[in-house]
Amino acid sequence: MGEEKDLLSTLLLELRRGTLTISVLSQMKEPKYGYALVQSLEEKGVAIDPNTLYPLLRRLESQGLLESKWETGGAKPRKYYQRTEYGTQIYEQMKIYWQNLSAGMERLLREEEA
Amino acid sequence: MTPNEKDYMERYIYQVIRRLPKAQREEVRMELEELISDMYADKGYMEEVLTELGDPAEFAKQYQNEQKCLIGPEYFDTYLWFVKVVLICAAVPILVISMINAIGEMPATTSQNATLVIIRAIVDGLTSGIIDALLSCMSAFGAVTLTFAIMERKKIQLEMKKAEKWSVESLSEERKTPTSRWTPKFLEPVPDKKSIISRSDSIVSIVFIVIFSVLLIFAPHFFAAIFTEGETVTTVPVFNLDQWGVVLPVFVISLLIGLADEILRLIVGVYCKLVMISNIVCGAIQIVLSIIVLKVLPIWNPNFVLDLELALGDNADSGAKFLTYWNSDMVSNGLLAFIVVITLFEIGVTIYKTLCYGASIKK
Repeated sequence: MGEEKDLLSTLLLELRRGTLTISVLSQMKEPKYGYALVQSLEEKGVAIDPNTLYPLLRRLESQGLLESKWETGGAKPRKYYQRTEYGTQIYEQMKIYWQNLSAGMERLLREEEA
Repeated sequence: MTPNEKDYMERYIYQVIRRLPKAQREEVRMELEELISDMYADKGYMEEVLTELGDPAEFAKQYQNEQKCLIGPEYFDTYLWFVKVVLICAAVPILVISMINAIGEMPATTSQNATLVIIRAIVDGLTSGIIDALLSCMSAFGAVTLTFAIMERKKIQLEMKKAEKWSVESLSEERKTPTSRWTPKFLEPVPDKKSIISRSDSIVSIVFIVIFSVLLIFAPHFFAAIFTEGETVTTVPVFNLDQWGVVLPVFVISLLIGLADEILRLIVGVYCKLVMISNIVCGAIQIVLSIIVLKVLPIWNPNFVLDLELALGDNADSGAKFLTYWNSDMVSNGLLAFIVVITLFEIGVTIYKTLCYGASIKK
């Protein structure tokens, strides 16, 4: 039983991992700070653990898809992330790919039910 | 946030950033301070926040996206193969040489039983051989691992099988357009079973060459006629040890060329043009060098016969007396003929196998 649960959670983790990048990129048209992003994703039903999100943001920045800026004007310093032009280009292509993929998946899974 | 809670936050952040590279620490610290205080403002309890964030070690792991391995999967098979070959080529010669050394150093005069002395020499040789072999295997293993770790870091492309694809055309075409994209044209024909070069043969040859080279370099006096007359042992060296400094380099170069050819065979693994060309070239050079060593250089001990007669005195048995008919010219010619025949035979086999079953010729 335990093994089965482990296997399932590993598989689900793998399934989710690929979708994280596109989920994050989709929200980054306007500058956002980390926790606001966590909350907005959660509200929309795509929860990401903060300990996954923060490293991911850094990685996307180092890949040139996001850029960041520290805002020091407020009560405490906040790091705002925003999509770069390159990030937007990549995101648009990922979006098309995702739409095809999810339409295909939809067909596969419906076939199974029928 | 109470001071106590702030303390917990700092402890948590410290546990994360101490696991990260120095350059990232300050920035990550600020990020985490922002995150945790945001979460605290949202949830109201520091303990809840930190529990949600989970083990700091796991958190830090998420930041370390670089691969954490010394030798990645790309190189691992090649690495294992190299380690095997290098360990065999290090351990076997050392064991053999230790044995030879121990037997050579057997006390000449002794009151003990001869079998006992021999057994003791073998045990000594084995002990020191195993210790030396273990030590050198460790250094060889370390050296190979270090080399591959550096290649992994620098992402040096090591294409073991590239040699097979080599052809004269590749000089002109492939240099200009480096084809990085894989196409079915890259598929090499399945090598004929008969075209595969036996790896164990290559390894045996390499081990033999290494042993022979080491003995020639460090112990040329082992090649000698040895006589025991009662309590004294007389050795008459076969080689001209006075002139050894002149002879040895040529000898060793010849052996190294043979070694290079064997290593190429081992790496390529099948008969093909490259192996054939290398074999012809190395064979030709080896024949020339053999002629130089045997016919031009003063390789033989010029006083061999004289010393031998002196050592034997009158009480020589018939077997030993045979040695006094030693004629260095005859020996040189005989050896030379032997070397030429063997080399030509090997080249012949290589050419035959390459033309009949060779990897790059058969379409």
